[in-house]
Amino acid sequence: MTIELAGERVELLAGRALWRPAASTLLIADPHWGKAATLRHANLPIPPGSTTDDLRRLSELLVSTRAERLVILGDLLHAKQGRHPETIAAVEAWRRNHAELTVALVRGNHDLRAGDPPATWRMECHDEPLRDGPFALRHVPGPEPGAYVLAGHLHPKARLWGPAGEVLKLHCFRIGPASAVLPAFSGLADGGLFQPRPDERVFVIAEDEVVEVPGVRRDRAGGG
Amino acid sequence: MRDWFGAQGWRPFPFQERCWDAWLEGRSGLLHSTTGTGKTYAAALGPVIDALAELSSAATAPLTLLWITPLRALADDTAQALEKPIQALGLPWTIETRSGDTPSTVRTRQGRLLPSVLVTTPESLTLQLSREDARERFGSLRAVVVDEWHELLGGKRGVQTELALARLRCWRRDLRIWGLSATLGNLAVAKAAMLGSSARRGLLIEGMAHKHYGIDSTLPTEIERFPWAGHLGLKLLPAVLTELERCRSALLFTNTRSQTEAWYQALLEARPGWAGEIALHHGSLDPDARRWVERNLRDGRLRAVVCTSSLDLGVDFSPVDRVFQVGSPKGVARLLQRAGRSGHQPGAVSRVTCVPTNAFELVEVAAARDALTAGRIEAREPVAEPLDVLAQHAVTIALGGGFRPEELLREVRRTHAFRDLSDDDWAWTLDFAATGGRTLRAYPEYRKLAQDPAGIYRVEDAKIARRHRMSIGTIVSDSSLHVQFMNGMRIGSVEEYFASRLKPGDCFLFAGRSLEVVRLRDMTLWVRKAAGKQGVVPRWMGGKMPLSSELSRAVRQKLDQARRGVYEGPEMQAVQPILELQRRWSALPGLAEVLVERVRTREGWHLYFYPFEGRLAHQGLAALLAFRMAQIRPITFSMAVNDYGFELLSPTPPPFDEALASGLFAAERLEADILSSLNAAEMARRQFREIARIAGLVFQGYPGAGKSARQLQASSGLIFDVFEKHDPGNLLLLQARRELLERQLDQARLLETLERIRKGRLVIVQPERPTPLGFPLLVERMRESLSSEKLADRVRRLQVTLEAAADEAP
Repeated sequence: MTIELAGERVELLAGRALWRPAASTLLIADPHWGKAATLRHANLPIPPGSTTDDLRRLSELLVSTRAERLVILGDLLHAKQGRHPETIAAVEAWRRNHAELTVALVRGNHDLRAGDPPATWRMECHDEPLRDGPFALRHVPGPEPGAYVLAGHLHPKARLWGPAGEVLKLHCFRIGPASAVLPAFSGLADGGLFQPRPDERVFVIAEDEVVEVPGVRRDRAGGG
Repeated sequence: MRDWFGAQGWRPFPFQERCWDAWLEGRSGLLHSTTGTGKTYAAALGPVIDALAELSSAATAPLTLLWITPLRALADDTAQALEKPIQALGLPWTIETRSGDTPSTVRTRQGRLLPSVLVTTPESLTLQLSREDARERFGSLRAVVVDEWHELLGGKRGVQTELALARLRCWRRDLRIWGLSATLGNLAVAKAAMLGSSARRGLLIEGMAHKHYGIDSTLPTEIERFPWAGHLGLKLLPAVLTELERCRSALLFTNTRSQTEAWYQALLEARPGWAGEIALHHGSLDPDARRWVERNLRDGRLRAVVCTSSLDLGVDFSPVDRVFQVGSPKGVARLLQRAGRSGHQPGAVSRVTCVPTNAFELVEVAAARDALTAGRIEAREPVAEPLDVLAQHAVTIALGGGFRPEELLREVRRTHAFRDLSDDDWAWTLDFAATGGRTLRAYPEYRKLAQDPAGIYRVEDAKIARRHRMSIGTIVSDSSLHVQFMNGMRIGSVEEYFASRLKPGDCFLFAGRSLEVVRLRDMTLWVRKAAGKQGVVPRWMGGKMPLSSELSRAVRQKLDQARRGVYEGPEMQAVQPILELQRRWSALPGLAEVLVERVRTREGWHLYFYPFEGRLAHQGLAALLAFRMAQIRPITFSMAVNDYGFELLSPTPPPFDEALASGLFAAERLEADILSSLNAAEMARRQFREIARIAGLVFQGYPGAGKSARQLQASSGLIFDVFEKHDPGNLLLLQARRELLERQLDQARLLETLERIRKGRLVIVQPERPTPLGFPLLVERMRESLSSEKLADRVRRLQVTLEAAADEAP
């Protein structure tokens, strides 16, 4: 799905990423790597594999877009306890496969506690906002005078409603006049439902397609 | 003993004497009768007689009798009732309770020494068993009484109790176990579940059978204006007020907490002078408030209490002389239980007055009376082999002194629930509890249990021990928030789901007051009294209880009679005009028929089916039929169910005729189709929530820990997905599907219904508009959907709703 943001054509990808062809940059938000390891550390028996899944999805996006640069809009690592040797090794292996790629991280609230990524991942770390062309890249959405904001943090999920009582909850992009919020990249993150603003466009991820939701309508009182 | 009874002016009933004799012979058993017939003393006084016979030492007796009760609130009442004879007879016994409400000074004392009689809940008992020295502490125990066993029997708390009893029995072979139960349709099974491998020698003693019951109704004067749907049913409030004026003390039972709030408010508005004389009681109110109500009810100081099942049980509310049931009775046994709250003295007549909230509930009342006359009381089926409970138990026992696998297996197989547990399932569960199972074996940091050099499984990590003790139990509720006044006074709790939709300044009705939200912080909803403003009534999720199979059958018979023009009794005569309307617009189904209505409205194409098998079986049937039709061409159904039938609503015409021709109700591929339909409707994913919690897959956090536990939060739905993908053989996934089929969708009734449809006749009509039977389904808002359309195509048809939930950081 191609749209125009701050005078630049960008693509909203069903792989939960935003693609800027003009800058050859792929943007994702909230990967929360090491979340399963964090849960295991707390003795919750979560089978391994979710971070590997996420890395595979990311690789597919990088290959299909041929991106030269990746920007992560915060919450790269879930928690300190998630810095498990296995997670670190998996990301290192992924990094070696994309050795040419430049990677930048805008620190999010989880990163502040979990710490910066290991040097072997070769990621430059920035505090928000990071200015980049017409954009200001942030983790937590907030106003930036003179720039269009791209952010994450909210894990937005939209609730869709049909006349015959159907309800769907889907990860989505929220595109406002001065800022956009990306869906959470993590496969282990649930979404936060939100109240769409009147001046906001909502694009949901429906399996392998990105679809703009036609209209906004008031919830039936108290709705189920 | 007989002397003491005589001194009270009582005479023991024959069944009480039989129980005492059985005690003296060292037998175990199950005593069943309706409420208020002296079961407590029948069971308790056996060990008292024992103690009298041995009355030689003056020292305080060690733990002798363990009394298990399903409700914390009942523990104090029970202790008081037991206190009477023990004091009168001068026994050197101490009686104490132990539950989540027990103050820490008492806990500390009990940590040193347990009382002679301990009254406790299944959860607190399991917690006791997780102590390293549990075996010594329970060494002197002679007898266990399980009170209100019918309440525990049908759920996982029953299995938890079975496992605890098996452990106590292994420690002391001559332990006597007595269960007290209301009358059930399957008493032999109830006894077997309680006594496990020693059930054969257990006795089944019937208490007083001849309690008299009366069921009547308040009838609407103008049935034409009586609603066809809805559940608040305040229409009959004036009639109820008149009745209340005539009685001394009444209980108004409702089916939901929201209904309780609404009725209490309505009573108070109609009779402001009754402030202080009426009260409300439900499970989300602060325990202190509930105890206040119970105390005043017992002392006869309240004119009326509006309540939910939270007052179904209770030792003695003898001042109560009238009982009302607002809304559907749901089941015969349930109605009896509630009726039994009045005339609590043995021999008195128990009367319940039903207050229908919509027209069809009149049919249910008439049907309930028929079923009672015919003696058809519902059965309660115990849960079989829940591995989540077993996994939890293994960790509990590892804490409580440790175990050798073969010994614990032998012990567990002595329960009814796990009597046929296979070696493979046991090995899997043990492995899962100990190391997280196959997929986690490679992770040394994940290890709950470890074997010591002697081969005994133990918990080594204090953190794991603490966390396990905090999550013992099988009661899973939605996470809830405290409701608290700004001055600190706690009022109760509401579900997070409801609280998240409130903004500061919003008003809601709770605990009989109108409250205004000040702020939501640290898992607490801070409120102040709302000045004059009315508010919404909170909705608590909770499972909706289905109409029992006994009552459903009786309802079908009533409708069959109506079809033949037979309207017997005041309720049926009152509802006659509406049933006649149903017959004119559509049809009334006969006993061998299932009615199907096809209606077209602005919303889309509606298919209504009326099997009258209770909402659970209808949920399964709706998913199955929707799935089978969706195989014919891409289509999306939204499904609504109630106790009478279900609706399949689609935005495009459903291929119903094609589906009928290709075997919509066929027995072929039934199991596979049911499973596929459940996956399509994501039901298994939701059922996994309870299992994940019990088996320790998700951690609810420490009380008051608030945000620090946040990074450990992962929804059970996501964990379900991770398991499906990376550990598909996980037995807990299979259990989720099995529980869904057997318990949530009532597979047995579902299959019976399909059989009935195949053998009987399908009556298909096309009314011009929704009928009296269809209307309640039309307005039902809790819906599931099932689709074979491409997701993106569905999205293009839908619209975003405005969520009231604020943007909140994850």
